Amino acid sequence: MKESIPNIVDIKRIQETLKAKLWVKNTAEGEYITGIYASDLMSDVLAYGNSGSVLLTGLNSVQAVISAYMAEFKGIIFIRGKVPEKETLNFAKEKGLFIFSTEDDMFEACVKIANIEGKAPEIIDETKTEKKAWNIITHTFYIDGQDFASAGMVSTQVKAILKSIGYDPLLIRRAAISTYEAEMNVVMHARKAEVTLTASDKEIYIIIIDEGKGIKDIDQAMQVGYSTATEEQRALGFGAGMGLPNIKKNADVLEIDSVVDTGTRMEIVFYVK
Amino acid sequence: MQTQKCKHQWEMVNTNPGFILTEACHKCSQVSTYFSREDNPPFEEYRDGEHFWNVMASAQSVRFDLKCKLCNTLVTFDELSSLLLCTGCKKDCDVYRLMEKYSGKRIWFYVAFGFKPYADKLMLSDEKIKILEDYYNQRRDSTNSSIKIVSFEMIDDPDSCAGEFIIDSSMLLLAPPEKK
Amino acid sequence: MKLNEIIEKLSLKVLTNLEDKDITGVYISDMLSDVMSKAGAGNIWVTIQSHKNIIAAANLIDIAAIIISQGTDIPEETIELANRYNVVLLGSDDSTFVLGGKLYQIGIA
Repeated sequence: MKESIPNIVDIKRIQETLKAKLWVKNTAEGEYITGIYASDLMSDVLAYGNSGSVLLTGLNSVQAVISAYMAEFKGIIFIRGKVPEKETLNFAKEKGLFIFSTEDDMFEACVKIANIEGKAPEIIDETKTEKKAWNIITHTFYIDGQDFASAGMVSTQVKAILKSIGYDPLLIRRAAISTYEAEMNVVMHARKAEVTLTASDKEIYIIIIDEGKGIKDIDQAMQVGYSTATEEQRALGFGAGMGLPNIKKNADVLEIDSVVDTGTRMEIVFYVK
Repeated sequence: MQTQKCKHQWEMVNTNPGFILTEACHKCSQVSTYFSREDNPPFEEYRDGEHFWNVMASAQSVRFDLKCKLCNTLVTFDELSSLLLCTGCKKDCDVYRLMEKYSGKRIWFYVAFGFKPYADKLMLSDEKIKILEDYYNQRRDSTNSSIKIVSFEMIDDPDSCAGEFIIDSSMLLLAPPEKK
Repeated sequence: MKLNEIIEKLSLKVLTNLEDKDITGVYISDMLSDVMSKAGAGNIWVTIQSHKNIIAAANLIDIAAIIISQGTDIPEETIELANRYNVVLLGSDDSTFVLGGKLYQIGIA
């Protein structure tokens, strides 16, 4: 991944060039970054952003920093003088991501960064990280329905745990994204839930048991077309839906059992190759 | 607006990003939509008289006012939820008929939607819709095409309209796309 | 600068009917609400979005052309709607960031 990026510069030079305001300083200062990813669409950040990059975005939301963290970015530069939210800053501080803001719009910022002369990065040999002896690890978390302020925190913890175990980054990403989607479902549609993470050298199990309305028609809720085609309409109050297809896409196994007016049990499995 | 002689030159002012939130009542399944300028809109279930509102969906959007550069008249657009490009989804729709009438003239039809429930909320007046149309035509700066904005009240069943809304949904979705 | 010149210099794929136009500038964003409030008529709009509602925003502002970045697959229905409403769609394998740099290099500011 690293060798394909044309311009590799250090963060300080980007800050100077954009006359960027520093919000959260972190360990990465003075270090090289490996690329720039300019986007407002968080799903694409997760899909295509290379680790070690910087996110350039106009999307001022805590989801921006969550996706930057999940995609293993070093930090975020908010464009058009956006003032980052408190939650964004706190999350960044905790996870060691830097946050800058610039008055430039996206085009100006891209142009200025592209014109900074690049330097060669120090390539870190990732194959040298040592393998740990295996234990089966179990953790339990709790989610409260309607608690939007904490939404995303369980998946963040799950990711941190999986990362500390040392799984393949792509596998960690898939597991974190699935957990995030399931967590959002609980926050939006259930009263509360218990999440159990079980990780071994063969599989990662994430089991979410919630108390809530349940799902009337699981097959319908799983339809990809249904959730994507009508999203704009849904946001304006035309119809309703859930985000299960996204979990299915990422997981190796997804099992759902649901009783209407009681709750839902969701089992998400990932195979470790 | 009242200034009769001014040939208004509109500019967009007071732009504020935010969310269009859709809430449904548990008890009666009524749906309500509104715009929130908060970074973190109130998401908890709350009671309002007989209703128990829950957030069902959200999309990012922008609020704005229009101001005349010449006479400083300010027009607010708080009643506008979203603009929709008419794609002619129903042949028996009045908007489609109107579009057909002007076909070949490079006039593009947009529909201004209000907030739900439509019966209880203030709707954009025809005068404001005309101002919005003037603004976008002035901004287009094009002689070979123009836009026409009409009210969603021209549509018999707005819920089933399949045109294209100008709002941002799924920007926050943390799942990779399927393609590639 | 003319649209045709940009297409040639950046080797962009032309996905719809093409009309040559004068380009007034570049606007980069993936949000339709940004475009409807801030983009200028005659701009080239760079985005990774390929959903057909980009046509609704582009058409309102009279965007000269949309460049969809990063080799994104563009749904047939988006191309069809673009042709119906005379919106020019272009494709590029470059990322949004790289395209921004290149557009500036060839002289659009």
